[in-house]
Amino acid sequence: MSQKINAVAVAPLLFLILLLPSPVFSQEPNSCLYCHGSMKGKVKSQSGALVEMHIDAERFKASVHGVLPCTECHIKFTDDSHASSGAAVPSAVLGISSQVSPKFGSDPVAGAACAKCHEEVYKKVLSSVHGKNIVEKKQTDGALCIDCHGTLHYITRAADGKSPMSRKYQVETCGKCHGDKNLIEKYRLEENVMDSFKESFHGRKLHLGHTRAPVCTSCHGVHDISSKSDPASPVVGKNRLVTCGKCHKGANEKFVPAITHKRPGPIPHYGEKLLILLTIGVFAFIVSHVILEAFADIREAIFRKKEGK
Amino acid sequence: MSDTTSPAQGIPKEIERFNKTFLVQHVVMFTTFLILSFTGWGLKYAHEPQGLSSIWIRVWGGAETAGLIHRIAGVTMLLDFIWHVIYLIYLFATKQMTINLKTTIIPLPKDIFDVIKNFMYFFGLSKEKPRFGKYSYAQKFDYWAVFWGMFIIGFSGYALAFPMQVSYIIPEFATGWIWELLGLMHSDEALLAIVFILFWHFYSEHLKPEVFPMSWIWITGKISTDKLKHHHPLEYELLFPEEAKKEKKG
Repeated sequence: MSQKINAVAVAPLLFLILLLPSPVFSQEPNSCLYCHGSMKGKVKSQSGALVEMHIDAERFKASVHGVLPCTECHIKFTDDSHASSGAAVPSAVLGISSQVSPKFGSDPVAGAACAKCHEEVYKKVLSSVHGKNIVEKKQTDGALCIDCHGTLHYITRAADGKSPMSRKYQVETCGKCHGDKNLIEKYRLEENVMDSFKESFHGRKLHLGHTRAPVCTSCHGVHDISSKSDPASPVVGKNRLVTCGKCHKGANEKFVPAITHKRPGPIPHYGEKLLILLTIGVFAFIVSHVILEAFADIREAIFRKKEGK
Repeated sequence: MSDTTSPAQGIPKEIERFNKTFLVQHVVMFTTFLILSFTGWGLKYAHEPQGLSSIWIRVWGGAETAGLIHRIAGVTMLLDFIWHVIYLIYLFATKQMTINLKTTIIPLPKDIFDVIKNFMYFFGLSKEKPRFGKYSYAQKFDYWAVFWGMFIIGFSGYALAFPMQVSYIIPEFATGWIWELLGLMHSDEALLAIVFILFWHFYSEHLKPEVFPMSWIWITGKISTDKLKHHHPLEYELLFPEEAKKEKKG
């Protein structure tokens, strides 16, 4: 009896599923993906930006935003063959889109649409050193959402092992720019940071799978990341006491210089040269000694045999 | 067995070379040394060859566990070293040990001449082997290398394992470079220590034809009088002057 009642009560609810804005059921994204799922290559927009035409439907659906319809972000085409859909763009998005326009040649509104759900974080990013580079300096190579979180349509959670923001790939992701010679030169970034991290105890432990070893963002901040010349930076001056103290309780002024990204100073540099020289010297002595001694031992064994006879 | 004396010669068949305390100190030293080398190797070469170190560290229970094992072994080794030094001071204070040029482990000018003599023997320029006391220059080198290692690797390792505590005693002018130097010292000298043990110690105590597969002194603490006469003639003459004189005449 009770099963029958349940069935009667639940059956109408099933129809509600059809109303959900999922790519499987909703008409809209299906029709976008109908073409863009099979299209290949890039098209030049009116502003001269190259726009990728292909969307991998499977990957998009598997991404964290896979349940959203395309128009959730592509609110209004300002510069495109599809022309304006006439939808109202929220003022928050509109404001940001004008700020980030250098970054998004073809559709800055879509680039700003992240703010619909992630407004607070987006504003943080725009006031960070990465965001200021786009907003104030009008550069196109500053990092924004997708530069770190993954390809435009296929963003996954940071907890996802494959995400470029996962513990496994996070350092590599920062290295795309901070290990790039041209960008280091252009923005006078600290050189050698990727290698020095890799060589550091933190980097080694992270590589070996230490679960508490820090990644870049653990110390440098995340969305509100700031320049090394900014006194508010968590890795500058006394702020380091708090930053290091997150893991190393009681971190003091003499402890915090233990990890730096600077090239080794003259003392460690020549100190290491001296140690290497010592190692090679001792090595040469003991190896030649052991080899000669072994030959002498063999020789003695042979002669002793002869004398014995 | 050690007390049995051969009636013909009136000297024991074997004598004590190291007492029980030294034997235990040696066992603790080499056990911790092996553990430290194995766990440290994974961190030193964390990046190359690709992925191999990660697998090796997993054998030791992952990065956290390997780090803990390394620290425990390191502290144990340092305590073993301190115990050894205190024990030596005690032996000297109670006059159980005195400095004799023929039995001392302290390096002497003679050792340098012994090296030269030995090389001449190796090259066939001399038929005579150098005559050693209780410790040959090779054994002295082996012994003092541990002291060097303890000061360089041991204390840098202590600073790296407990950076917060050690940071208080680091002078202001050194904070900028000392940590980097400590890391390099620890890692480079550890490699030297491993290479040293693998070649020097392993040849003379394991691979040398007459001791292969190993010298058993580390367990028994005793050396046969025959071997003593052969390898440590000066000590033999010191211990059994009568016998040595007789043999020379004979």
